This record gives sequence, C-alpha cells and structure tokens, in this order.
Amino acid sequence: MTTTVLPAAAAELGEGPRTARLAREAIASGLATTLLGALGLVLGVVAIFGPTRHLRIDWLLPLAGVRFDVDPLGGLFIAVTGAVAVAVGIYTVGYAQREHWARFPMVVLPLFVAGMLLVPAAGSVPTFLLAWELMAAASLVLVLSEHNRGAVRFAGVFYAVMTQLGFVMILLALVLLSAAAGGDAFTTIAAHADDMSAGTRTAVFVLTVLGFGSKAGLLPLHAWLPKAHPEAPSPVSALMSAAMVNMGIYGIIRIDLQILGPGPQWWGLTLMILGAVSAVFGVLQATVATDLKRLLAYSTTENMGLVTLALGTASLLSASGAPDVAAIAMTAALLHVLAHAAFKTLAFLAAGSVLAATGLRDLDKLGGLARRMPVTTVMFGIGALGASGLPMGAGFVSEWILFQSLIHSPPDGNTLLALAMPLSVGAVALTTGLGIASMVKAFGVGFLARPRSVAAEDARESPMSMLTGMGLAAAACAVFAFWPALVAPALRGVLDALPEVGGDTAGVQLATFLRLPGIDGSLSPALLAVALAAGVLLAFAASRWGARHRPAPVEVPLWACGAETLSPRMQYTATSFAEPLQRVFDNVLRPDTDVEVTHFAESQYLVEKVTFTTRLADPVEQRLYTPVVGAVIALAQTVRRAHNGSVHLYLLYGAIGLLVVLLVAQ
Amino acid sequence: MSLATYTGVLDLTAGAFLLAAVLIVWRRELRSIVHLLAWQGVALAAIPLTEGLYEGNPGPVIVGLVVLVLRAGVLPVLLLRAVGTADAERRESTPLVNTTSSLLITAALTMLAYAVTRPIIALDQAAATRAVPAAFAVILIALFVMVSRRRALSQAVGFLMLDNGITATAFLITGGVPLIVELGASMDVLFAVFVLGLLTGHMRRAFGGTDLDQLRELRD
Repeated sequence: MTTTVLPAAAAELGEGPRTARLAREAIASGLATTLLGALGLVLGVVAIFGPTRHLRIDWLLPLAGVRFDVDPLGGLFIAVTGAVAVAVGIYTVGYAQREHWARFPMVVLPLFVAGMLLVPAAGSVPTFLLAWELMAAASLVLVLSEHNRGAVRFAGVFYAVMTQLGFVMILLALVLLSAAAGGDAFTTIAAHADDMSAGTRTAVFVLTVLGFGSKAGLLPLHAWLPKAHPEAPSPVSALMSAAMVNMGIYGIIRIDLQILGPGPQWWGLTLMILGAVSAVFGVLQATVATDLKRLLAYSTTENMGLVTLALGTASLLSASGAPDVAAIAMTAALLHVLAHAAFKTLAFLAAGSVLAATGLRDLDKLGGLARRMPVTTVMFGIGALGASGLPMGAGFVSEWILFQSLIHSPPDGNTLLALAMPLSVGAVALTTGLGIASMVKAFGVGFLARPRSVAAEDARESPMSMLTGMGLAAAACAVFAFWPALVAPALRGVLDALPEVGGDTAGVQLATFLRLPGIDGSLSPALLAVALAAGVLLAFAASRWGARHRPAPVEVPLWACGAETLSPRMQYTATSFAEPLQRVFDNVLRPDTDVEVTHFAESQYLVEKVTFTTRLADPVEQRLYTPVVGAVIALAQTVRRAHNGSVHLYLLYGAIGLLVVLLVAQ
Repeated sequence: MSLATYTGVLDLTAGAFLLAAVLIVWRRELRSIVHLLAWQGVALAAIPLTEGLYEGNPGPVIVGLVVLVLRAGVLPVLLLRAVGTADAERRESTPLVNTTSSLLITAALTMLAYAVTRPIIALDQAAATRAVPAAFAVILIALFVMVSRRRALSQAVGFLMLDNGITATAFLITGGVPLIVELGASMDVLFAVFVLGLLTGHMRRAFGGTDLDQLRELRD
C-alpha cells in the first residue's frame, strides 16, 4: 500500500520489473513463513510425544544465557503457532502481491512467527522475556505496515502502550518468581514453588493474570485487540488473533496452573469471572459490530474468555477435590485453543480476501459476494460455523465438553461450586447464542443477498495461493468439527504433563464417540455429520421426487413491497440485524443513536428522508481508559514545562543530576 | 623506569590533561579547540603507556597506542573536517557565559572534583589513584563546556572531553583496562562523532548555521 511512485517514474521504471520484484519478494516472505511454521509444527508434535528437549546457548545472552526446554505443553502451543503460520505463509504469497506490500512487513512477518515459536520453547525467564519482546515488537511493526492511514497509527500507539504495560507486569511477576526461587530456569522455579510465601504467590498470580490476560484480550485490558487486529494487514490479523493471543493463555497455564498450581479456590474463581465477563462482553460487541474484522477481533476476546473460563473451572475443580472433572475442563480449554486457531485463521484470511477484492470492511456496504467470490464465501462460512459453536462447526466439540464439565461438577454441598457452575453455564449459553447471531450477521449480511455498493459489485475471486492458504485452515476446521479424535493423543500427552489440574486422571476419551468417564454424556461428531448429511440427502431426494407431481414453474416478477423493483437498500443491513439485540442490551452497550427526519419544504407531513446513525463505542474503554489516559496526559503536560527545547538546559539538567549524585554519595 | 620518574611522569600527564581542558574553556577559535583536544588525547594516551612501561606489561601499552591513534589522530581530523569554511562558523558565537566567569567556574569545578574524590583516594595511596581528581575535574569541566557552548562542534568537543575524562578515570583507578573494553568504548565514541558530524551538516543545511539554540524551533 505504500508504493507512492509518481506516474512518470512508474512509467520509467516499467511495470514489468516492479511486478516481478514484488512477486519474488512475496514468494520469499511467504515461503520463509511457511517453512518456519512447518518446522514449528514438526518440532511441536515431536515435543508433545517425546521427552523434554533442552538446548542451551550461553554466549547469546550475556550473563543469563539462552535456554530452551520444550515440553509437551510448550510443544502444543508451538505446533498450533506453526500450523497457523503454514496457512498464513501460503496465503501471504498472493495477498502481498495483490496489496502491494512494502519490503518491511515482508521481512518482519517470518520474524514475528519466529518470536511466537520461541515463546513457548523458552526454558528460563530471560529467554522467555526476550522471545516475548521479539513477538511484541515484530507484531507492532506489522500492525503499522499501512502507517499512512491515521487509524492505523492510533491503533499502533494504543497497542504499543498496552503491550508494554502487559510486558512490565509479566516482567515483575517473573522477576518476583526467580528471586523467590533463587534461579531463573522454569524447572528451578517449579521445584521451589511450594516454598514461596503466600504473598509472593498472590502477587505473581495477579500480575500474570493481568499481563498475560492483556495479551489474550481479556477484560479489562482488551481494548488494544479490537483496534490493532482489524487495522493490521489480514495475514497479520490472522497470526495475531489465532496464534499470538494463545501466548497469553500459554502464560497463564504455565505460570499459574502448572508452576504455582494447584492454587487456592479464589484463583480459579477469578479466572472464571474474568473469562465469563470477557466472553459475554466480547460476543455482545461482536454482535453489534459492523466492521467485519472488528467483529472477528471481538470474537477473539469472546473465545479467549471461554478458554479462560475453562482454565478457571479446571483450577477451581482441582482445588475443590474433583480432579477428574477438572481434567475434562482442561481438555475443553486446550481443544478450544486449537479449534479457535483453526477457525479464526480461516475467518480472518477470508475477511482479508474480501478486503483485498473490495477494499471494504464495512458489512453495511458488502453483500452479494456469494456469487462473485464463491470459494471465499464457502471458506468464510466454514469459519463462521466454527465460531458460532454449532454442531458441524470447529468450535462445537470443545464448547460441548466445557458444558459437560460445568454441568457435572460434584454436587457435594460445596456452596462455591453450587453457585459458580450454574452461573458459568448461563454465561457460556448466552455467549454461544449471541455468537451464533454475530456470525449469522457476518455471513448473511456480508456474503449473501445483493451487493450494497459498487465496490462489492465489482469483487473478483482471490488468486490461487490465497485460496490454498484458506483451504488448509478449512481442512483443520473440518478435523475439529468431525474427527477431533485425531488430536486426542496430543491432548493426552499435554494433560499427562499437567498433573496439577487432574491431568493424571482418565480425562476425555476422544474417539469416534466422545466419552466422559464418570459422566453419562457422549457424542459422536462424525456420526452426527453423517446423520445430518443423510437427512439432507433424504430431503433433497424427497423434494426431487415430489417435484414430478408439481405443475411446471412459471416466472413472475418478485413482490417488491409495493415499490417498482427490489433494490439492495431493502435488505437487512448489519446495523438493522443487530438492532433488536442492541435494544435488549442497551444498558451494557450504551449506544449513541441519532434519528434525524428531514421534511419537504412544502409540507410538514411529508418526509423527504430519515437519517439513522448509531455510534457504538467500547463502554469499558470509555469508563476505564479515558480517566487514566487523561491523568497521564495532564502529568505529561506538567513535566513538559521543564522541557523548553533548549539543548543547553537539558545538558544542565544532566550536569546538575551528576553533581547531586556525587555530593549525596559522599 | 624508577618509581620517582614514574610518579613524576604520571603527575605531569595528569596536569597536562587538566590544563588542556582549562585551555579549551578559555579559547573561542574552533580550530584551536580541536588542536587542544588532540593534545589532551596525547596526555590521555600517555597514562596507560607510562603504566605499561613502568610495569613492563604490553597490554596497557597496546591500549595506549590505540587511544593515541584514535583520540589524538582520527577524532580531531574528523572534527576539523566538520569546521565550516564560513568565517562566522569558525568561532564560537556569543557565549552563554563569558570567558572570565567560565574560568572561575572551571576553578570551582576543579575544587569540587578534589572534594568529591576524597573517598576514592582514601582507598589507595598509589600515585595513579592520587591523580584521579584531575581526571574527575575534566569530566565536570566537559559537562560545563557542553552546557555553555552554542556551536554543535563545541558540543562534540565537550562530549569527547567527557569521554576522555571517563577513560582517564578508568585508567587511573583500575590500573589497566582490558583491551576489549577499551575497543568497545572507542568504537562507541567514534560512532558518536560520526553522528555529531552528520547532525552538524544537517543543521547547517536546515538553519544555515550550527547554533544549537536554533533547535528550539523543532519543539512542538
């Protein structure tokens, strides 16, 4: 997007060589990303089934050295990141050419993937922080790749501040941990975790939940996510939403569940509350969002909320002496991380395909893409089905398992469980229901019916590499929807490494039939699909058979509500679709709605036009962030008075500082 | 080399080092300031050279030779290139503090340096340690030069003098800096001079002069 070569210069350069160079660079960047991803996928899978592998490079980082310990838990997250990167890499080959990427994002994209692969591999605090910063800095650069748009710059600043704040919290927590354990390797910390004082453990828990929660997009530190994810180029959005947010979940599992776990009951309860609130809030915002990528970003907050809810359930249940049900909740969390990675990659890549073809993200202007971009439409449909948590969708099985673990908590008169579990069931049910509404809106308004703008009318299908990238993600979605048994050995391997949350119990049996030991609930996604397919076939055959008895079809004009012809403006828009829900949740969403009626000059009784505008800001952001940002700005203005622009004055400050230090040191 | 000669040479070197700093405060001609800086570099290089010869240790001698080439040769030449050809650019313009007050402040800073380094001297009564106040005084004087001079080039000279002072303190207190540390520090200084040279050129193009007060316009 940053090719601002003047027409004359472009003519001089010749279009041919430039296009060829762009193609070469795009292929190199995409290939590097894919290869890194494939490497990560292989190494991750090997790590899940093998013993923990160690690698030490002492000279790379002065004093501390770099240390990698890849265990099954880290392996799972490496494998997920790798898989997402494979699909995104192939997709980028076509996308970068179509969107005329500059060189910079092409170089940084593989670097970002490398950073994300290193985070779960890190075996010591300094290595972890280094990889974390590599990931954060690379993603920031990528968010800013279209920096000539104002919205992108704003999102970039917002993201930079929030991610660094999160980093500071993680840094503090990990420093506290290593100081208390007397060593910086995670194994050393885990060995000394039980000797730490309650105060240290609590402080580390609070700091890590805030820091990692902010990366995972949990409330109240989620505000960067719906800004940065939509403004980044779509392959980057996919990487961020499907892989980077997982790192927050990884951090919570690693530090709070594995190293410090099993924690007291209130830890699990805190995670459950955070998760439930994030899930409901995220999905509500997704329901009323009209920007396709913003909708998907809020859906990420929702899904990470569900994962955190499952983690909290696992922690609470194992603290309450029900490790077998805790293992089921943990399975739900891990499976949902995997499934979310698959369907969110697909959804963001499909949204990118739409954006590249039409230049639009606004659902109110899209529509009619099913006929113009059939493959992209099918792909987005698969992704949306996964996100809505319906049967045959990728997210269904994990949400079902989560439900089962919530419903089947032991009824032993524990008041806390008796209160928390039904409330969580309510939150998950509300989330799933609203999730369906938001995805129906995204798919129905964005892709079906008639185009609402010229740009949507002129849309053309994306090139082969983009479709291939989406195809890979769609295949992954199909695995999670129909045959989750394929990942069962991997989940078993990870759970075995997590005895803190009941990983050593029987857990979920993922096979053709999903069975939950000790609980009478079972499910077979594959048979469900077969039954549904058979039903559809039967209905189709019946209708064909019945068609022979019907009279021949006659073509008549459609009824156009009394107007002359049907126009795209008669269709539901994203805004009107969400309007009833917006009314129901008026108190939470607090929309700013304006209805402006213009009358004809001749008569007060005839209306010329009615303008309806609704602005939806993030209420949490407005209530919580505005005062903080205001205070920081006021403080900065005070400090600014000492900065009058004179270099000599600044130097004098330094000199006076030195003198004061020298005199105080006496 | 006998102990008496060693002590005498070391004291002479430290004295020359401090004197060069005072003369830099006194002079306004940019060219002669840079020449004085070169002489200060020679005095600085003499410290490890003397120590190395006295102890018969080749390490400090090599460090001294590196310092001599860089601080008395390369850096002054680079700075002289940056001195403009226009007459107005060859002298320090109206100083923020006049020459007499500058010299008085320099004297005060030197005394302050002796006052604040007493704990260091109390640690070790060796000849080298007793010369530390001179090196410390150069650090403070360099800061004063940077605060009070307007031209970008004088700032560069002040910065190099500051670094000379820090290096001299390191030589005198530790009795021999490892070659790798000295090379790292020298590299840093070299880059800083490159950057300052570039900045001078940019300022001349943007503002037509190298008066740092014009940078105020860049605020907001």
